[in-house]
Amino acid sequence: MSLLTLRRNFFNVHVITTTKIYRENCLNEAKTEGKSELIPSIKFRHSCLLRNQRCIAAYLYDRLLRIRALRWEYGSVLPTTIRFHMCAEEMEWFNQYKKSLATYMRSIGGEEGLDITQDMKPPKSLYIEVRCLKDHGEFEIDDGTVILLKKNSQHFLPRWKCEQLIRQGVLEHVIS
Amino acid sequence: MCPPVTLKSLFDWLFPQRRNQMCKKQIWRHRRNTETLSIKQQGLCFKTRTNAEVIIFFIHLNFIRLNFNMFVTDIRKEFYDVVVNQRVALFVSPDIDALCACKVLQALFHCDQVQYTLVPVAGWQDLGTAFMEHKEQYQYFVLINCGANVDLLETLQPEEDSVFFICDTHRPVDVVNVYNDTQIKLLIKQDDDLGVPSYDDIFRDDEEDEEGDGDDSGNESDGSAEPSGKRRRYDEDALERRIERQRARREWEARRREILFDYEQYEFHGTSAALVMFELAWVMSKDTKDMLWWSVIGVTDQWVHDKIPHMKYVTDIATLQRHVSRHNHRNEDEENSLSIDCMRITFEYDLRLVLYQHWSLYESICNSCYTSCSFKLWSINGQKKLQEFLADMGLPLKQVRQKFNSMDMSIKENLREVIEESANKFSMKDIRVQTFAVNFGFKNRFLASDVVHAAAALLENVEKDEMPTDNFIKALDCLSRSNLERLHLGIDLAKKKLKAIQQTVASCICTNLILSQGPFLYCHLLEGTPDVKLFSKPLALTLLCKYLLKAFICSTRNKRCKILPLIMAAPLDVEKGTVIVLGIPPESETSDKKNFFGRAFEKAAESTSSRTLHDHFDTSVIELKMEDRGKFLDALITLLS
Repeated sequence: MSLLTLRRNFFNVHVITTTKIYRENCLNEAKTEGKSELIPSIKFRHSCLLRNQRCIAAYLYDRLLRIRALRWEYGSVLPTTIRFHMCAEEMEWFNQYKKSLATYMRSIGGEEGLDITQDMKPPKSLYIEVRCLKDHGEFEIDDGTVILLKKNSQHFLPRWKCEQLIRQGVLEHVIS
Repeated sequence: MCPPVTLKSLFDWLFPQRRNQMCKKQIWRHRRNTETLSIKQQGLCFKTRTNAEVIIFFIHLNFIRLNFNMFVTDIRKEFYDVVVNQRVALFVSPDIDALCACKVLQALFHCDQVQYTLVPVAGWQDLGTAFMEHKEQYQYFVLINCGANVDLLETLQPEEDSVFFICDTHRPVDVVNVYNDTQIKLLIKQDDDLGVPSYDDIFRDDEEDEEGDGDDSGNESDGSAEPSGKRRRYDEDALERRIERQRARREWEARRREILFDYEQYEFHGTSAALVMFELAWVMSKDTKDMLWWSVIGVTDQWVHDKIPHMKYVTDIATLQRHVSRHNHRNEDEENSLSIDCMRITFEYDLRLVLYQHWSLYESICNSCYTSCSFKLWSINGQKKLQEFLADMGLPLKQVRQKFNSMDMSIKENLREVIEESANKFSMKDIRVQTFAVNFGFKNRFLASDVVHAAAALLENVEKDEMPTDNFIKALDCLSRSNLERLHLGIDLAKKKLKAIQQTVASCICTNLILSQGPFLYCHLLEGTPDVKLFSKPLALTLLCKYLLKAFICSTRNKRCKILPLIMAAPLDVEKGTVIVLGIPPESETSDKKNFFGRAFEKAAESTSSRTLHDHFDTSVIELKMEDRGKFLDALITLLS
């Protein structure tokens, strides 16, 4: 899911246009006073305003949905390239979402909580074979051992450690 | 399981009166029941075996403890059980046998959830780099088809606790690797004729000598101004002893040099690594049909690239045949017959025509080394003979030129026998060869050699500018049954490669590009030659070399030239100005495929200080700078005359 920079310019233009349209509407309304000739144009401008508002709301909402999906894809820490494209309010929203998800995960599954972002598909085996698609450097697994992920090397690793990297596209699950 | 004392001598010592029966037993074992022995004799033979075998087994146990070398005797206990709870680094060399061994081992590791890292290594430099990168994290290293023929500890300089398991077909195994009993374990069958020199012939405690010398020189050095008579005599004795010791030592060293020279002179190949790994799986009862098929491909690769003599190939095929029948007998009964989609391996006595079931019969005949050289298809006469051959079999040209699968069923039914009959008339006695085929589904049928050619073409693909490791991964993938598109792609690439080889051979023969340099034949491919990029890779160049030598022998009238080996040079990297040079032994019916060019190249490079790179695991393939070519060849000529 890609998230592009919030189109602030677009918003600015929109705000200006909206204000213009609204002012014209007000002017017309002032002129009306009993006559019904200008009413259709007022209605027309009003519906334009409503339509623009709907589009913007849809755009912002779609961005929020994508940001929500990012939490499931990348985990709690987002890469800097993505954070660059988010505005402050969106970051705020993301943090709130993280918090509520964490609270929920802690509440289920007994004492320690249950990490439901792992194992999105039912796992078939404990260990999987993965192939490295790009040089990723060193990678540490649970028992402290460090594995060097070099392009085109293949590894047989525990599934839960590899999932993140598979989603990021560094590793590829090899099915033979 | 070969103790320093040979099995035969032990046997003779134990059963001196039964020497006759022992010989019969050996004959019986080797001729595979075709010789009829009377039941009584068979019984006696059998009994001798059982009794003797039990005793031998116990004696072996004792002898093994006296074994100084590190050939692994029980591969399961000494290799698999050691690594099963550890993390392992696998270094695999780029040849098909290694790929197959790697697949078998990977399948075993998946069964037992052994965490491993697989790194492809293309040569000694790659191996060194990979080792440096992984030595901190791994203690156990498995090397497949690399590392046996050079002193590994000196090349890699590992820590004390690193353990290397080497499963390599390269022979001779370096003596330091053989006699190291802590860090290096060789996963090599000891019934290959290894001929390792005994420990005392090569290694010797130098301490006594030095002490002795030290004493004598110490005595001599505090000589006073007037040595007494007694002292003079003592000095003389000491001097004599020292001279005697030095002479003995020089003799021992001379003999050691000779022994090592004889041992390391010829390079050859042993049992396929894939077969060794399959036997490990079999011992643990974890073998599957897929693993069996991979070991078949491994052995076939050794035959296709001419690494083993024909007898050894036949023996290995017989071993595999036993496994294949064992696997095929599981679902024999009519009610529970296997579905068509299941994998089935069958033993075939099939034609020696490369890729003929995926090509047209005509193309296959034109591009197979055996038929092309027998007919001499680069000449017009040869083409005529081919037409006669096809006419003799009654095959219309239209049928023969279309895809094999589209040929008429009536022609395909008895094709092998028909071709064999006609081939005999045209003096091609060995048109059929023992091999295996795999069937799964209605459309998918592959011979082992088809897969070998496809995988080799993928491994050495020069079409796109990809890294060698990318090609390694693609070739590894094509061996799985779920990657059929890749296999078909490989087959297409193999067809192109074979056509290129055929055309290059034809042009070399017609333009007399092969020159006799005295002790060997030499051929140099120039830069502008079409498809010359294909031949910058060792496997493709090897195929071209063998094909060219066979073709040359068929076309030349000079009897002396027919027994000469061939050296070939092809451009490797135009910018750096390097060529790849490869040497193959002379062609003969009973050749044992022993190659002396490894040592010869080393010595020639040293003596002329040419800029060479001996990076490949096969020592008979080197890289050389273009400018040094002339003096390198001259040095070789002088060396080998």
